[in-house]
Amino acid sequence: MTEDSGMRILFFAQLKDATGREEIRWPETGPLTAADIWARLEREWPAVTVHRRTTRLARNGEYARPDEVFLAGDEVALIPPVSGG
Amino acid sequence: MRIEAQLTTERIVPPNISGLGPDGGIGALAEFSGVVRGEEDGRTITALEYEAYHGMALAVMRKLLEQLGQHHPCTGVWVIHRVGVVPVGEAAIWIGVAASHRREAFALLAEFMDQLKQDVPIWKRRALFAPATDTAAGPTP
Repeated sequence: MTEDSGMRILFFAQLKDATGREEIRWPETGPLTAADIWARLEREWPAVTVHRRTTRLARNGEYARPDEVFLAGDEVALIPPVSGG
Repeated sequence: MRIEAQLTTERIVPPNISGLGPDGGIGALAEFSGVVRGEEDGRTITALEYEAYHGMALAVMRKLLEQLGQHHPCTGVWVIHRVGVVPVGEAAIWIGVAASHRREAFALLAEFMDQLKQDVPIWKRRALFAPATDTAAGPTP
């Protein structure tokens, strides 16, 4: 297994609080849908469920489409409602 | 349109935006500072802490500015957003826009701020509150 075969998941703001993590890595992950990612996250951290409706996923630094497929080597970020400025 | 976007943990020092365009071509320089207020949810605060997804925040800002520049042609725009702890009275964001005419500069600036608050992955992470001044409210060790 190489580093690139895993999927890197980044947490920000409320999601960081809900998981207690800034990032995790899922090794040897096959293609995943957004629903797959959420199901896996919710199994591990039920506290993320309350944020699911308002949180967008990003893939490699861009907001993901609803039908986006996430692949091994991707950087996936959970983006709760933003509040810059 | 020239675009400069950056994130900084340091106090924002606004650059001289008159240099963003060719000599004699700029008729409007619009600047905006978003400053941290001393109150959050009715409580006195001393600072706000901001967090960003750096790479994506910069990419989204640039993309938004490119799109807005299609509708509001400007000569250049410079955005600096601060992250980390920003004390009350200091700027969390500074934007400078140079254009031939004021209308485009104002429009781009206003629309960018609206979009930033919807799409740019930057968060007000927490407020730092001032210590309570009412000593009668709790026991002292």
